[in-house]
Amino acid sequence: MNCNLHTSGDLDLYFYDELNVAERRTVEGHLSGCSECRAALDELRVIREALASRPDVSAPASGDWSAFMTRLDTSITQERLGSFAVVPLKPSSRRPYIGYLAMAALLALVTVGVTMALRSPHVPAAPAPTVAPVAPVVQQNQSSPAKDAAFTAMTEEHFERSKLVVLGLVAKRPEEFKAADWAYERELATGLLNDTRLYRLAAEDRGLNKLAGVMKDLEIVLLQTSLTDDKDPSSLQQIQRLIRRRDLIEKMDVVTTTGL
Amino acid sequence: MSADAELVSRAAGGDSSAFQVLVERHRSMVYRVAYQFAGNHHDAEDIAQDVFIKVFRSLDRFRQDAQLTSWLYRIIMNACIDHRRRTRFASSAALGDEAEQRMLNAPEETPGPEERAYGSELGQVLETEIGRLPKGQRVVFVMRHHQGMKLCEIASALGLAEGTVKRQLHAAVHRLREALRQARVTAGEGAR
Repeated sequence: MNCNLHTSGDLDLYFYDELNVAERRTVEGHLSGCSECRAALDELRVIREALASRPDVSAPASGDWSAFMTRLDTSITQERLGSFAVVPLKPSSRRPYIGYLAMAALLALVTVGVTMALRSPHVPAAPAPTVAPVAPVVQQNQSSPAKDAAFTAMTEEHFERSKLVVLGLVAKRPEEFKAADWAYERELATGLLNDTRLYRLAAEDRGLNKLAGVMKDLEIVLLQTSLTDDKDPSSLQQIQRLIRRRDLIEKMDVVTTTGL
Repeated sequence: MSADAELVSRAAGGDSSAFQVLVERHRSMVYRVAYQFAGNHHDAEDIAQDVFIKVFRSLDRFRQDAQLTSWLYRIIMNACIDHRRRTRFASSAALGDEAEQRMLNAPEETPGPEERAYGSELGQVLETEIGRLPKGQRVVFVMRHHQGMKLCEIASALGLAEGTVKRQLHAAVHRLREALRQARVTAGEGAR
């Protein structure tokens, strides 16, 4: 290899499109008269094609992310616990936080209720929730059969409303995708997101782990829906896969038909 | 604010679901780069785990106007280098800049008989050779060739001079060319 262009690395830069127009012209002029550089360029093309033929490995060997996610969850939990060990939370410090959550929930629910009422042609009649969902969060240690019943009723109602979004998303055909087709679901998802989070916290607080798990799955789907780029059909497919992978519809059916 | 920036912001505020969505959106890309660097699932998974833990730790340092993917690349590449360092220098003391540079350019250990017994596919031969590149060269090659990043972006992500990146890429390509020629000679001998 005696050619300066080849040994300097400029040929690699030409191949990787790192040269400006003038430099490219110079290299192209050189290539027409230098068989050594042409052969070197061919080698680079062979390398690219050979590597492109290799399988694209973008998931664990099993193809299943669940073990990966579980391991990551454990590490993140340890990270969080580490933070708490340095700055421990005082038990009393939860009260103001819960108070703010309750206020936020109340405002969010009223907003959602008004929005739902205004959009009633699209939504089956469902009474707008008022203060009830906040109760399990605020009065976490004062649960009674009556309050439990209220919590159950509100949760089921919330699920019914959320199911509109989930079923709407699953029913859409990505191959006939139009961004406007799921604007309604995206808007509803955005409106339901905060409430879902509050319901999850309330369920966790009451030790209803299965319900909290379903709420978490729902929260992820709603979050993904509300944040995703609505111009991209692959986003819809991704969310549909997420719903299927988590068996979300079935889980929500179980909650709404058999109770909590 | 982009969807990613929104997720980072929520996750930084303690929203675990937002962090989970963030991981789900980017885990394939992170794993792909980690695998291209490591060449095996075991190390790729360790690196990918490490990346997301580092992301979690630095959520509050993400600039909202920055591209998440650029930020992630920087974390991935540092995780790749850290992983190598941990596995090879587990008990050694902290390294200075000079030692770090030597380490980045040090050749990998001689491959064992199993590694040498590569398959007939050219891609596999080259992939094996990529695994043997000194890690500085490997990082630059993976970022340029597999991820399609520009040299200036690589230099910025790794905190290196562009000239250094260019030299590392050239050295990597040179070694792959040699491997290609060797494979062709071997294939030619085998055919006779």
